Amino acid sequence: MNDSRFPPASKTDSRRSLVEACFRREAGSAASIPADSVDLLEAGILDSMAWVSFLRAVETASGVSDLGSGLNERSASLGEVLAALQNSASEMSRTNDAGLHQKISSSPAQAVLTGSSAVPGSRLLPSEEVDRAFGMPAGKLRSRAGIESLAHAAEGENELTLAARAAEEALRAASCGAQEMDWIIATSETHHDYPSLSAQLHSRLLVRENCGALDVGGACLGLLNALTVAQSLIGSGQARTILVATADVHSRTLTPGRVAGEFGGLFGDGASAFILRSAARNDSREGYRLGEFLFGCAGQYAAAIQVSDERNGGLTVQFDGEALSRAAITRMEKVLTSVEMRSGIPRSSVGGFATHQPNPRLVTLLAKQCGVSPDTFPPVAQVSGNLGSSTCGAALHEILRSASKQPRGHRRPIFLASLGPGLLFGGGWLTPND
Amino acid sequence: MTKLLITEITRMGPAFCVIGLQRENDRIHSIRPVPSSANGWMHFPHQRGDILEFSLTPFPGAKPHIEDRVSTRAFQKSSALTEAEIVPYLRRAELARSLSELFGCKIHENKKGSGLYAMPSEAQRSICGCETQNLRLEICANELRASLVLPSGEVLRDLPAVDHDWRNFVDAALAPDRGANRLPRLERFLNSNFHYKIMSCPHHFIRLGLTRPYNGLCWLMLDTLFPLPQKEWLEEF
Repeated sequence: MNDSRFPPASKTDSRRSLVEACFRREAGSAASIPADSVDLLEAGILDSMAWVSFLRAVETASGVSDLGSGLNERSASLGEVLAALQNSASEMSRTNDAGLHQKISSSPAQAVLTGSSAVPGSRLLPSEEVDRAFGMPAGKLRSRAGIESLAHAAEGENELTLAARAAEEALRAASCGAQEMDWIIATSETHHDYPSLSAQLHSRLLVRENCGALDVGGACLGLLNALTVAQSLIGSGQARTILVATADVHSRTLTPGRVAGEFGGLFGDGASAFILRSAARNDSREGYRLGEFLFGCAGQYAAAIQVSDERNGGLTVQFDGEALSRAAITRMEKVLTSVEMRSGIPRSSVGGFATHQPNPRLVTLLAKQCGVSPDTFPPVAQVSGNLGSSTCGAALHEILRSASKQPRGHRRPIFLASLGPGLLFGGGWLTPND
Repeated sequence: MTKLLITEITRMGPAFCVIGLQRENDRIHSIRPVPSSANGWMHFPHQRGDILEFSLTPFPGAKPHIEDRVSTRAFQKSSALTEAEIVPYLRRAELARSLSELFGCKIHENKKGSGLYAMPSEAQRSICGCETQNLRLEICANELRASLVLPSGEVLRDLPAVDHDWRNFVDAALAPDRGANRLPRLERFLNSNFHYKIMSCPHHFIRLGLTRPYNGLCWLMLDTLFPLPQKEWLEEF
């Protein structure tokens, strides 16, 4: 007798062949294919280990990532596996239709930021202590750069542990299981090891094996690069849920004796993490919707900051602080102006600016140049130092945290802007998903 | 008589498998008391943490289940330890940091689907403890599965979780009298609160075991997960 939940074979030939091939791999090539309604466990055809193994093989072969959870409270039959595959295919087709609709209406890809976190290094040092470590007069970082303290990684902390902590907190904030991740996109300007940071995070977080892992560069611009890649993956229907993580531990690279204090002393350690979901899959009206991004490279400033490894293990740092400061302010102001024009959102109505913060003095200067209150820039560099790719992330998290305390309807847009050596630049915006 | 601190009670199918720790001078090692007629107990009226006195034959079981000892007479309880007191003893017994140290042999990935296995002729033991960097439980097509990260950073996925207490907890969470959406509620718990409760617990520890040879292979499974689940947690979801 046919079960109406199981579609006729003619419509599902390719799925059926795939399921049967996986079944034969598990049960043996000579095994006969049981009827659709036979419970493979009850009939003793597969044991529980082989049943899960078979399902994982179907997941891998079909590209359907959550078949196992779709079969909870169902019988262990081939018919149920085929029905779950069919359901999953229909859902994907709905998501792709939504993606197509977005393309036709030429609106930006609909990705919603649903959870965030920022984790500074847990050793908070007064800036005077860092002055002394670099052999500078005590008070120099505070008076010249406005840095009051620096967050350094404690023993046992590194890019992986900080990013993993941030990711776990972001997952919790988004009420999202690690198994839901389709991609992890990581960025760091200090992690140069292999396996890469995204691969290490993949293992540490125990996401699904078929969740992708990707590292993007850009140094302090890394977060924006990662967000735009995530947005593209979601917009194209390739992914539904993505973790974007940043992590930077400068205190072990930019050390006294290796670099000058005027450069190395500015940097702290930290991480940030964000959960992005497809708007089509996000039933909640919470979170922030990603707008468009713009990017570029002002090569004329490329010489203002250059860092390269030496043969003897040292670092060559070319750092023209004056030129870089001027370029940074000018370029970020330009980026924010472009964001304002493209989004149609006046800067006066923006709730917060999540920007790169080379040092607190420059943030104050940028706010002045833009004609907005310095209070709209969270004091990340003032408290923790320049966190590299995580500065923008820590600032964005802080703005989102404050916004979450506002009643719905009162939340305001957020502007993003950052820079990286090159001089790379980028910007974008987020609007409340009310 | 041999005194054993019962550290594991596992359930796979209808039978229970019991493992305990025996102290011999400074050495603490695992012993799996088995009834004379089978590999598991159909009824085992004791708890984890109980210290039981067994009458065991001195002959070890066949490789890799060298911890097997046949229990020749009825056993009796002499005292008991709390959960937090058990783990320090487990940390002094068989312990590994990496995949190759677990059973003293190469661990193979199932090329057909999921799971990991050891060759019976290569494995030097069938039980081992370890710390984890991370651990998750999930219900996959009605089966309780664990994935974990060893201290070496190596990942073990889709291990059957056979810990009796954890399986009971899942059964209780899915009991029909717990109202609607039991499975999604349990999944949410396993994805959020569970993780925090387990990983932040000072006596978080796991023991991994090898199944009896099945089609010539011994599969890895999660025998024990500390902390053990608490009944009150059921009120949280």
